Amino acid sequence: MRQILKGGEPFFFPGDEVGCLLTHGFTATPQEMRGLGEHLASQGRTVLGVRLSGHATDVRDMTRSRWQDWIASVEDGYQLLEDYCSKIVLIGFSTGGAISLYLAHTLPTIGVVVISTPHELPSDPRIRLLRPIIRPLSIFYPFNPKGPPDFYDPEAAKARVQYNHYPLRAVPELDTLFLKMQEVLPLLKVPVLFLHSKNDRFIPPEHMNANFDLLGSVDKSRILVERSNHIITCDTAREQVFKAVSDFAERISGKRE
Amino acid sequence: MIVQDEGEPFFFQGGRTGCLLIHGATGTPKEMRWLGEYLASQGHTVLGCRLFGHATKQQDLLRARWFDWFTSVEDAYHILSGSCDQIFIAGVSLGGLLSLLFASQFPVTGLIGYSTPYSMPEKIAVVLRPVLPLISKVWRYFPKGEPDWHDIELHKDHLEYPSYPIRVATELHLIIDEVQKVLPSITVPVLIIHSKKDASVPYQHAEKIYKALGSQDKEIIWLENSGHNVTRDTERQKVFLATADFIRRVSTHNPQ
Repeated sequence: MRQILKGGEPFFFPGDEVGCLLTHGFTATPQEMRGLGEHLASQGRTVLGVRLSGHATDVRDMTRSRWQDWIASVEDGYQLLEDYCSKIVLIGFSTGGAISLYLAHTLPTIGVVVISTPHELPSDPRIRLLRPIIRPLSIFYPFNPKGPPDFYDPEAAKARVQYNHYPLRAVPELDTLFLKMQEVLPLLKVPVLFLHSKNDRFIPPEHMNANFDLLGSVDKSRILVERSNHIITCDTAREQVFKAVSDFAERISGKRE
Repeated sequence: MIVQDEGEPFFFQGGRTGCLLIHGATGTPKEMRWLGEYLASQGHTVLGCRLFGHATKQQDLLRARWFDWFTSVEDAYHILSGSCDQIFIAGVSLGGLLSLLFASQFPVTGLIGYSTPYSMPEKIAVVLRPVLPLISKVWRYFPKGEPDWHDIELHKDHLEYPSYPIRVATELHLIIDEVQKVLPSITVPVLIIHSKKDASVPYQHAEKIYKALGSQDKEIIWLENSGHNVTRDTERQKVFLATADFIRRVSTHNPQ
C-alpha cells in the first residue's frame, strides 16, 4: 500500500499566535523543513510543515501532479494554521519559496521568507533544449535519475528523504509556477527575507537577486550564507539560517523592534 | 484561490483528544463542519481534512487515485498528532471507507463510520467495472440522481461537485476491495451510523460492515428520517450526540 515515506510526514508544533507555514521544495519532503520548524517552535512559534501533493509517496504520483495541486496543499496548510494563529509567516524552500510568494498575493500574511528559490527553471542546457518537447517526451521517458545528495555536511546527505528521480511531466508545471511567481512579485508589499548560499551549485545566487529586484515590497532584505549547497535548511549553514528566519519572524510579528 | 470558498479544511483547537473528520466522494470538508463545531464545543481538537481533488475543480478528480485520498488522511493524522494524545477517526461514505482502511494501518482510539458502503452500491458500476477506465476516457462524468435529502433546504446550501467523474467509480472499487480485506483485522471500537432511508447506500451495507468487523466493541445506530448525508440532514443533532457519546465512552475506557 502506498503511504507517506518514513520521515517525510508533515508536522505541526502548537505555540503562540504567530504561525509559521513551512513549504518544502520540488521532489523533496517536509523532512528538509523539520529542523527549521523545530527551531521556530523552540522560540515559541506555532509551526506547520505541509506536504506538497504528489510528494513524499512515490515518484510516479508526480506525473499526475499539477502546479495548482501544490498551491492547494499550501492553501490547506494555511487554513489549518489560520484557525490557530492570528499572524502567519509564509516560509518556503526552493519551489516552496515560489509558492509562498505566489500565495502572499492572495492570502493575508505578515511576511515571507524565501530560501534558495529559483527565479526560473535552472539554466541546465538540457532543460533549455528540451523545454518545448518535455511533455510528449515525459510519456516515453518519465523519470530522470538524480545524482547522489550533494551536501557540505555528510550527515545532512544521509538524513535526506526525497525522490531519487526528476519526474519530467512535472517540469512544465514548475515552469508555469515560476512564471506565476514572477507575475505577482512586483505587486507584493509585505516584508520579505531572502536567503541563499553563495555556493549553491544548483540554483546560483543570481536567481535570488533577480527575485529581489523584481519584488515590490519596500521592506526586503537578503542574506548570503556560505559553505552550503542548495539545501541550506539542512547543510552546514543551517544554524545561521534558523536564526535569520526566527529573528525575521520576531521582528515582523512585533515581538522585537 | 485554488480551493473553493467554504470548501476549506478546518482545525479547531481543543483538548488532547483529536477528531479527524473525512468527507465523502465529490464532497467537501463543509459537510463535516457542523459536526466538527459540535465536537469542538465538547472540548475536543478537531481537524476536517480535504481529500485530494476535492473542493477545487471537478476535472481534478479525473487525476485522483484512491491512495491520494489515503495520503490526504495521513497528512491530517500527522498534523493532528502534533497536539493530541489520542485520535478518533470519523468519515462519511468514502470518508468512512478511508477511516476503516486507516484504522487498519495506524493507531486510532475509535472509529465512526457514517453511511459507509460495504460494496459498490451502484449496480451499473459493478457490471461495467472492467471497462470503466476505458469508458471514462470518452464519457467522463455521470450525472448525480435526485438528491435524497430529507431537508431539501440544506441541500441547496450543500457544496459538492455537480456530477460523478466515472474515474472515481474505478477508484471506489479499488478502495472497497482494500477495505473488505482489512475489516476482520480492525479491532478498535467502532460506531456505525446509517439511515434506513439512505438512497445511495442502502442500510444493509451497515449490517455487512458490522458483521465483517473484527472489533468486539461495535454498534450500529439507525436513523429514520435522513438521506445519505447524515452529518447535515434532519437528524444531525442525533448524529452529533451519538458521536460525542461514543468518544466520551471509549476515551474513558482508554485513559491516558
